[in-house]
Amino acid sequence: MLVFSETRFDFCGDEYIYAELSKEMRIESTFKVITVTNELRKRDIPGLIEIYPSNTSYLIRYDPNVISPHHLLEYLQEVDRQKNDRSELTFSSRMIEIPVWYDDAVTRKTAERYEHLQPEAKGHDFSYVMQLNGFESSDAFIQAHSSVPYFITSLGFKPGNAWGFPIGIPDHRIIQAPKYKSPRAYTPSEAVGVGGAFTVVYPTESTGSYQLIGLSAVPVYDPNQSLSIFRDTFFLAKPGDLWKYRPVTEAEYHNIREEVSKRTYTYKVKPIQFSAERYEEEGSKYIQQLMEGF
Amino acid sequence: MLYIHQPGLRTTIQDTGRFGHYHMGVPPSGAADRYSFLLGNALLGNPSHYAGLEIMLQGPVIEFQKATVIALTGAPAKALLNGEDLPFYEPVAVSLGDVLEIGEIKNGVFAYLTISGGLDTPEILGSRSMCVASGFPGVLGRALLEGDCIPVKEPLPGALRQISNSILEEVKPVFRKELDLHIVLGISSESISDEGLIGMLNEEWTVHTQSNRVAYRLRGGKVRYKTEAAPFGSGSNPGNIVDIPYPIGGVIVPNEEELIVLLNDGTGGGGFVTTGAMVSSDISLLAQARPQTTVRFHAVTVEKAFQLRREKEQLIEKVKAAMQQA
Repeated sequence: MLVFSETRFDFCGDEYIYAELSKEMRIESTFKVITVTNELRKRDIPGLIEIYPSNTSYLIRYDPNVISPHHLLEYLQEVDRQKNDRSELTFSSRMIEIPVWYDDAVTRKTAERYEHLQPEAKGHDFSYVMQLNGFESSDAFIQAHSSVPYFITSLGFKPGNAWGFPIGIPDHRIIQAPKYKSPRAYTPSEAVGVGGAFTVVYPTESTGSYQLIGLSAVPVYDPNQSLSIFRDTFFLAKPGDLWKYRPVTEAEYHNIREEVSKRTYTYKVKPIQFSAERYEEEGSKYIQQLMEGF
Repeated sequence: MLYIHQPGLRTTIQDTGRFGHYHMGVPPSGAADRYSFLLGNALLGNPSHYAGLEIMLQGPVIEFQKATVIALTGAPAKALLNGEDLPFYEPVAVSLGDVLEIGEIKNGVFAYLTISGGLDTPEILGSRSMCVASGFPGVLGRALLEGDCIPVKEPLPGALRQISNSILEEVKPVFRKELDLHIVLGISSESISDEGLIGMLNEEWTVHTQSNRVAYRLRGGKVRYKTEAAPFGSGSNPGNIVDIPYPIGGVIVPNEEELIVLLNDGTGGGGFVTTGAMVSSDISLLAQARPQTTVRFHAVTVEKAFQLRREKEQLIEKVKAAMQQA
């Protein structure tokens, strides 16, 4: 059953209200966070500056000179209560394909360069994650990582960086990895990393602490808006989207890269209507159904 | 145009910030010491959001290729216009070909140069503020370089009437070696033991050298976590929580011996215990603190937080009103 305990609200400083649905990671909490924050965004409330959904909590920034903080708090509590009804927990999102060159030459070189930061990985993050998760062949690992969709729970860390949580599989089959104890000073842009139960695609060159297992052939952040999918936004990810990684060979990777640089690449996208109620009732069957024909 | 002869240590374009995209990983950016920046615009009769230059520690050498009116605010430094001393906190007329040389900042970190009418550099996502993490093009994504030509708008009507109208001493920020900051407790503060919270509030913290526009690191005190099992999905270390969205000004406890306070270039979410958020007007004070500055935290109610904010706003309004009468 989708039962939500009372959401806890906190004033933070003079400009923020923080709302926490649960302390532990529960994907149902994320569903509700997305539904509530979508609703708030739609209402376009004067004085609301930021609406920031995260895994099991959300943060509102407001201008206390425009809106009374106490009125806002009551209003937020009301919207939050309305979304306790599980039939309310639906949202429009998209399934997006991300072609990935797994165990690629570029991130291999990065992992080698930072071997000293985690000697236990022997300079090869891909094999390290593969072995930690009990896989004997890289094909089996790639198959496991790329066969399930990743639910985008939130963005942060760098513009366009998004956390993807695998759904439709039992917890014990989720691929997990420890983070570097001390972060790398450099991560190539579009590197695919695993940290905890989450997979990310690094939007730009940056520091980083997730284990690198591949390279995305397509950008996830484009402030120059050179590809058509970025026409209205710089960001590929949106909370509530599902990302599906597709393994590609080195040759295919380079072909896609060329299309990206010629600005002719089109992302494979399928609009979906996500229902938390149906996910709760049907589980992996529902996810399989969403993925049909994709 | 402003022609940059020497860029200084790190001179960037800033305004009051970029909003509505924090949940996409884009920090607000904007002037680190918002208060001093707003004073600069108020002195010129500019709307608050007009962009100016943020100057860090060692100032630039700039040639004005347009006659206009400027103001210097923030952390004091020796400033020379064509070799003659130039006062801070006072609108000054500059002519075509004048050269402004700003020296070393000895107290505080950031000075601001505002210009009547503001800078005319490109906007992205509704702001002209530079943000390193963003990968934005040109001066939106980097500090100024030698040879940059920065477009400026025409001075506003009445700009020349503001000249030499200096402001009351009580309005000018003071740069101290000891800071008192105000925090509204909350978020995940219940993961801290009572003894830990008392420690955080009673002990003195020292600003660490690894502090910048993204975050300030403070050491010297101790904050004990509660000894209870970490929630599912948070990671196995004490102090880990399931990742949350961090507020700007959030006071984060990554381990029992360190505090991290997020400033305007702060990068959104993370998974460390967060004890609450500072009053927004205190962010300006912390951003101007140099390493080794002593910091004390005071817990306040949210009502008190609004009052503290209001006091700072009233000072700015006083300057605006004085300039309108000029």
